[in-house]
Amino acid sequence: MRVVALEPGTATLGLTPGQTLTDARALRPDLEAVARDAPADAALLTALAAWADRYTPLVGRCADDARFGAEGLMLDVSGVAHLFGGEAALMEEIAARLTAQGLHGALGLADTPGAAWALARFAPPGMRSAAPGEIRPALAPLPLTALRLDAALVTGLSRVGFKTVGCIADLPRAPLATRFGAGLIQRLDQALGREEEAISPLLPVPDLTAEKRFFDPITHADDIARTIVLLAEALVPMLEQRGRGARVLELRLFRVDGHVDRLDVAAAQPLRNAARIAALFRERIAGLACDIDAGFGFDLVKLGVLESEAFPGDQGDLVSGTCAVDSFEALVDRLGARLGPDRVCGFAGADTHIPERAFGTLPVTRLRAGLPAASPAAVTPVPPLTRPLWLLARPEPVDTLAEIPDGPPRRFRWRKVGYAVTGAEGPERIACEWWRDGRAAPTRDYYRVEAATGHRFWLFRHGLYGRERGGPRWYMHGVSA
Amino acid sequence: MHPNAASLIDRLSLHPRPGRAPARLPWGVEGIDARIGGGLVVPALHEFRAAQARDIGAATGVLIGLLTALMRTAGKRLLWVSDPAAVADAGLLYPDGLAQFGLDPAVITQVFPVDVKTALWAADEGARCPDLAAVVLQIKGNPARLDRLATRRLMLRSQASGVMVLILRQSGVEEAGAAQTRWRIAPRPARAEPGLTGCVGWPHVTLVLERCRSGQTGAWALQWDPKRKVFDHGQSLEEDAPVSVDRPAASVDRSDRAAALGQILDLRRAP
Repeated sequence: MRVVALEPGTATLGLTPGQTLTDARALRPDLEAVARDAPADAALLTALAAWADRYTPLVGRCADDARFGAEGLMLDVSGVAHLFGGEAALMEEIAARLTAQGLHGALGLADTPGAAWALARFAPPGMRSAAPGEIRPALAPLPLTALRLDAALVTGLSRVGFKTVGCIADLPRAPLATRFGAGLIQRLDQALGREEEAISPLLPVPDLTAEKRFFDPITHADDIARTIVLLAEALVPMLEQRGRGARVLELRLFRVDGHVDRLDVAAAQPLRNAARIAALFRERIAGLACDIDAGFGFDLVKLGVLESEAFPGDQGDLVSGTCAVDSFEALVDRLGARLGPDRVCGFAGADTHIPERAFGTLPVTRLRAGLPAASPAAVTPVPPLTRPLWLLARPEPVDTLAEIPDGPPRRFRWRKVGYAVTGAEGPERIACEWWRDGRAAPTRDYYRVEAATGHRFWLFRHGLYGRERGGPRWYMHGVSA
Repeated sequence: MHPNAASLIDRLSLHPRPGRAPARLPWGVEGIDARIGGGLVVPALHEFRAAQARDIGAATGVLIGLLTALMRTAGKRLLWVSDPAAVADAGLLYPDGLAQFGLDPAVITQVFPVDVKTALWAADEGARCPDLAAVVLQIKGNPARLDRLATRRLMLRSQASGVMVLILRQSGVEEAGAAQTRWRIAPRPARAEPGLTGCVGWPHVTLVLERCRSGQTGAWALQWDPKRKVFDHGQSLEEDAPVSVDRPAASVDRSDRAAALGQILDLRRAP
């Protein structure tokens, strides 16, 4: 067992990360060790990322962090710092808020993600911020590990006497690349800003955002509702200016203690009406399983447009007197906001013959023109009634007395009730999709049967006698009129 | 009479004024339409009941037949709200089957609420939306929430907006409610086509009018003609018709899935 991380201030005791636990215990017998809980760490980082959203919409995690055992968040604060009184003030504010939450944080600020990464982890406190264009001097005294290099590479470089970033920053590039690989040069360039490095955001970045900060945190549902109206009214001119309407909106409520509540609503058509946006969130909040926990209150509320579409800009109909609130789209939005958009569906088709795969229910908000028709039967004229009205979610096995090898069932028992078959039509053979199920997948022979009681069912025999493996089984798949 | 008062009376339909008869949806079978005054009133609540879970196919067939006729005239959209318990039992609507029956599956918007409470709310919202032709509320059993008050509200919403509201009740017993008509549907062996024994014929059901505002009842054998997309052969089965009596209203504090409220009275005249 090894030490993964230490509380700040323990470096003076001779403890270092990477030490075996036995060594550490030998140095400090009163050492308190807690087993590492990686999922909990990851959950905390994700929650922190949501919280950091209050500073900038672009919050990411470094892809290689896990390899270096020092995970953190990367915030792109370009064009944001002035909102908080400059970069130094922003860093102070973040540090103060982290401390208030009971977290120890190390912050680094630089022009490039690589340099900020290095400064946060390896620079001494007080020297963790590099002014624009001052990356090189700031990085020069740091160890080579700060460049996010593999341990083997760092060992190789130290053998030839390179210990710090400053040692290799000005060396001729070609011999370095030849000897130590292009990876070293790439890391160096990324840190010094000679090569671009993108931060991939953890959370979707809204196209447009409106936010409101509160000196006194708000707790009442009425206040939240009023804030949503205010923010929606602020968003509408931005949408109008761009000629767009919102399809997916997200509300973020930042609680004082760092917790962030996120609520999203989807609209069936582009939306540019503050009252309707507010109404959608009202339904969404009313439909929550448990109320929003306001705790000590929310001090920041953000409303963002995650997806938008060109707004057709239709005019209302004066003659018929129907207003937008009564329209079908408004209904779908209301239902989707309260129940969740996934619960308001329309049919969508797929190009396959397997009945349960040939159609699906897709949220209305995701149905677009150009999808395959829900049913080929709707396109071709008047076919006979070969399909049931209800398709069971899973075919249910039935005990059957049927002719061998390929006759219809004579009697069968489904859901504990026996039926005698008086009429049957079939078989309608539907072959398996070998490209999905494999070549050994059994064929289905579908029969429409009518029982003596008048019930009509859609049954199939799964497999062919003699030709396919195992004894074929019978399944109930649908109930027809 | 003050014009506002007249429109209010219209809305509440306490005394519908002559000349303002609401739209009706005929069955297309003379005997049935004559019994209920020319067809089902469109802006109203109607209930279709399958006594057993396995009768759901027949009940849905009748409902889809009516909706096919309704969509021919109204040509709008349908909202189909399903109680989660009913989905587990009956499965999913099959678009191919609907299309073969005559209803374009693209007009249906399905709602899958989490419980009966939200299902009622969704049906209520749908019944207020004049862009819809009809709302179907598919319910399993007799949930306590769908009581007289809830059905009355659906009925009033429907009258105000003109949206037809249909309750499709699966494996439920008869229950007093505000529905204008209540029908029980059971499958019936298809009549043998001459020369085609052993085959599956056209959909054939027993249709029982259990309750109607006018006090009429009746029972018919009904067949769906998939070629012409109409009902036909409404042969009367008077011996099966229930006798219209006042049944006890459901008590308020019953359990959620109630047991049978009472037996269907059989007061047939002795031969």
